[in-house]
Amino acid sequence: MVVTQLYDLASWLPGAIAYFFELGAALALAAIVISFLISAFRYGPLAGGDIVFRVATTAVADLARTSPRRVWAMARLAMHESLRRNVLVALAVFVVLLLFAGWFLDDTSPDPSTLYLTFVLSATTWLAWALGVFLSAFSLPADFKTRTIYTVVTKPVRPGEIVLGRILGFTIIGSALLVIMGVMSYVFASRLLDHSHSVEVASLQPDAEGGNGALVGRTSSSHGHRHEVRLDADGSGKTDLKNGHWHEITARADGDKTAYTLSEPRGMFVARVPVYGELRFKDRGGHGGDRGISVGKEWKYRSFIEGGTLAAAIWTFHDITPERFPNGLPIEMTIRVFRSHKGDINKGIGGSLIVRNPRTGRSSVDIPFTAQDQEIDYKKIEPSLFDPSGQKLDLFRDLVDNGNVEIQITCLARGQYFGMAMPDLYLRAADASFQANYAKAFFGVWLTMVLVISFAVMFSTFLSGPVAMLATVAILVIGCFTEDIYDLANGITQGGGPFESLVRIVKQQNMVIEMEEGLTKTVVQSIDAAMLFLMKGLAGLLPDFSKFDEAFVNHLAKGFDISPDTVGVWGLRGLAYLCVAFVVGYFFLKTREVAK
Amino acid sequence: MNRRRSLWHKVAYATAIVVLLLPLSYLSQPRTTALHGGESVGSPGGKLAQLRDEYGLSQADLGELDPTSEALKLVTLGMRGPAANILWQKANEYKKTEDWMGFSAALEQIIRLQPNFINVWRFQAWNLSYNISVEFDDYHDRYDWVMKGINFIIGGTNYNKNEPRLLYDVGWFIAQKIGRADEHLQYRRLFREDDDFNGSRKPSDRDNWLVGREWFLKAQEAVDKLGMPIKGITPLVFHSYPSMALIDYTEAIEDEGTFGEVAKNAWRKSQQSWQEFGDREIPTTYNIPIRLNDYERTEERAHESVAALDELLPGMRDKIRQERIEALSPEDRQIWDTPDGDRTAEQKNRAAQIEATLKPSYLEIAQRADTAKQLEALRLADAATHDEWLAGVIDRYRDIVNFKYWRLHCQVEQTPEALAARKAIYEGSHAFRNSDLNAAKKQYDEGLANWRAVLDAYPELLKETIVVDELVDVIKEYTAILDQHDIEFPEPFVLQDVIDEKNKSPYPLTPKTEKQTSPADVTGPSAEADRGIKKSDAQPETEPPAKP
Repeated sequence: MVVTQLYDLASWLPGAIAYFFELGAALALAAIVISFLISAFRYGPLAGGDIVFRVATTAVADLARTSPRRVWAMARLAMHESLRRNVLVALAVFVVLLLFAGWFLDDTSPDPSTLYLTFVLSATTWLAWALGVFLSAFSLPADFKTRTIYTVVTKPVRPGEIVLGRILGFTIIGSALLVIMGVMSYVFASRLLDHSHSVEVASLQPDAEGGNGALVGRTSSSHGHRHEVRLDADGSGKTDLKNGHWHEITARADGDKTAYTLSEPRGMFVARVPVYGELRFKDRGGHGGDRGISVGKEWKYRSFIEGGTLAAAIWTFHDITPERFPNGLPIEMTIRVFRSHKGDINKGIGGSLIVRNPRTGRSSVDIPFTAQDQEIDYKKIEPSLFDPSGQKLDLFRDLVDNGNVEIQITCLARGQYFGMAMPDLYLRAADASFQANYAKAFFGVWLTMVLVISFAVMFSTFLSGPVAMLATVAILVIGCFTEDIYDLANGITQGGGPFESLVRIVKQQNMVIEMEEGLTKTVVQSIDAAMLFLMKGLAGLLPDFSKFDEAFVNHLAKGFDISPDTVGVWGLRGLAYLCVAFVVGYFFLKTREVAK
Repeated sequence: MNRRRSLWHKVAYATAIVVLLLPLSYLSQPRTTALHGGESVGSPGGKLAQLRDEYGLSQADLGELDPTSEALKLVTLGMRGPAANILWQKANEYKKTEDWMGFSAALEQIIRLQPNFINVWRFQAWNLSYNISVEFDDYHDRYDWVMKGINFIIGGTNYNKNEPRLLYDVGWFIAQKIGRADEHLQYRRLFREDDDFNGSRKPSDRDNWLVGREWFLKAQEAVDKLGMPIKGITPLVFHSYPSMALIDYTEAIEDEGTFGEVAKNAWRKSQQSWQEFGDREIPTTYNIPIRLNDYERTEERAHESVAALDELLPGMRDKIRQERIEALSPEDRQIWDTPDGDRTAEQKNRAAQIEATLKPSYLEIAQRADTAKQLEALRLADAATHDEWLAGVIDRYRDIVNFKYWRLHCQVEQTPEALAARKAIYEGSHAFRNSDLNAAKKQYDEGLANWRAVLDAYPELLKETIVVDELVDVIKEYTAILDQHDIEFPEPFVLQDVIDEKNKSPYPLTPKTEKQTSPADVTGPSAEADRGIKKSDAQPETEPPAKP
């Protein structure tokens, strides 16, 4: 699985809190100054200052006296309103989507579980966002338009309670729908992926490697694939791994024949808990470096080590204790292969793995393996090992130093290359519950929905419904393309900013060709510089949704546990934005004529 | 507005609607079909339906109707183009980041949006079979992706029925990708074992070249019977592939050790198919159709006309030539009179130009005839000129597909000597790889002797660089066997003429010693390279044992 960002709550939190308060203070100061300037312009400096001071002090009092009972009353109002506005239509749309999704999803895909889970999560996310925008952005403006807001504000209710109540009410409705969608999605994915095969008895032949009575053969084709089977003498066995799963085989006597039964797919819905290490490289001369070499691939995620040389990839793992790994180290690795010559087509490329003490340099004997390329390869490092001289080693006593241990991979074939990135080799510490992982992924969806609702409610306190909707959509668009905006602003993406791109489109000019020197270039690039500064600033302030897929969807779909740190970091970020949206919404509603 | 006026408005609108319905009905009435007594009856429909039918533009005429595709097109609300564009970009991104599941899913969506855009099928099938398959290290995985590409483009033929280019591409993928890849031995075996793809096809027919030929023939049929246009490939090459697939099949089974009657019959069928290809009418860029087999006949006719003209006007050609020599300028005359060996490079060029001006055209010869013979002379000159030109056109087209060589090849390979030679060399090579040096030498001696017999019977083979290079490769391995036996390279060598011919080429053999020429030191492209095959494709899976 491709991982570009690892979350560590403990190291992230102090910096994040400091950043939050610094930024909050700066924004508050800016808001006070701007408010004062506007008030001073309208009412004179003294009266303006008085107004700003009064609003600020009232706000503190208002927020301190927020009543949960009144917030709940407002929330109930929002829920009633949502139901009146036929919010359940979203559920109907989702059901229709699931009913016809089978038409569009290819069950012969090389990784069907990833495809199906990605689909249901993406569909749910988009629907939840749409629901959030439509419910929240039009609610307050409609109240203003129909003047029902006067009925509310004549009651002893504070603006903050109105804003918070709306956010809470819409969130409850959205959450209820998300729960239903989550359950339906789970049933949908598991039912459509469930399948079985039958063993093609005619294909069974004695297994030369399996010993007496062992058989090899194949299954029937189902869902666009078939498996190779390997049966023990008693007829039981299992299939090979295909399309991300395998089947258990049991045999029973049926007259003078043997009937074979295959289980449901296994290994499709898992939640591996990986322990990642730090990766460093050695070049062909044995000298260290942060990266291996490039074999010319456009994607620089992995770097490569040359076979038959001293080049190696070394992972250092921390907190390795016998209590955590009593049965040894369960390694899973995806080692990519790049051949610079054909070699022996019938054989994979051989490599070697050693476990080493990072302080003493003492290491285990080479453990040979054949690179499985794009498949995950499992290796178990036993607690008891041997060193190259044949002396016995204890993994935790001799090779682990203060909880640290190194695992080194080398490629043995001269002229061939192994490619790897840090997440390509990890210790599979345990398997978490898939259902719990599924719930965490939906928590991620829920979190983004709450943010959408919060921003939409915030905008609706001072904008009309359609404009509030557009503003919220703009936040989503910027959030989804945050990384692209950074790439654009930092000059990583070729072709220039918005204006330069427009000029290039009109002139049908290639992105990589330099613009002609002259006034046009100066003007266009100056405007772009200002635009990109603004875009970068906005992207930095607004929630970043561009990593959402990697953090939640991909982890679930590729069978990896969504770590508590990921949930924590995203949860706290969400809370921070919720607070900001609430406070901004409060002030805008407070300063509107109707709520005074 | 009073009620009466309102009523009149409504009547006027209703009348207008009815009036407009009439031309609408004339234009848009749908076509209906029904079978009555085994014959198709029904209405041809309105003008639009008839035009759609005439130009094969209706969805039903293009190919399979897919509700999924239609649904997806509708939900994009007219934004099909941008949606396809975004998906195409996503597919590229997925490919770059090696997300094959995402890539496959994006392709599924693209083809549902644009099922009748031929190049989508062609481009992405190529991507799957050629570009993505090689990203995998295990050849089983590679084969799976090659087949994904093939199945993908076969899907395209369902949506775009009788589209020659797609049908041809299916044939190309099955024949060439499986049969010419580095892993062709493994791919061909997996293809034979592939029940999912081959279905009920007989085991003997489960050869990628034969299955590829089936698709080439379908493509040919779409052109011949339905008049579909051939796009993006010359008709000559397009029509050569069914026959080439048979030749490739026969070579492949011989490479894999099948000889005797099976190979002989396969060569016979190949010859027959190549003959049929030669008899096929091929359109040309000269706006005349030609038949490749007509070359000899046309050339003979031209010779006959020239001979008749010379007989009608004896000595006229030489006379005109002599007159032109006499009329040369003093500078040109001096060059002309200088013996060729004494001319400078510049003079040689000029001499060639002079030579071209000296030769009179047939028309010029005919125009010198007296009145009584002139009509006949002009007729003969015209026939000779036309037939020579036509023979030249046919010859150029024959060169494109190496027509003459393959015709000779099919003929020679059926002979008992050629079959025995190939069998012996195959077994000798096999024995060499198994380190059975005695058997290897014996088989090679027998094979080389049989090749001698073949070359004696067909000396024109020595003019074919493919044959010379192929035999040089054989001689190289024979040399390696002799080295293992510590035996000197024999002199005179049984295929010395092959070595001599190779030495005349731009890539001659480098003499090992003054006396001995070692074929192991051959430089330059091999027979495989001449045929456009990568060297690595033609190498054996197992390397020969290293020299001690």
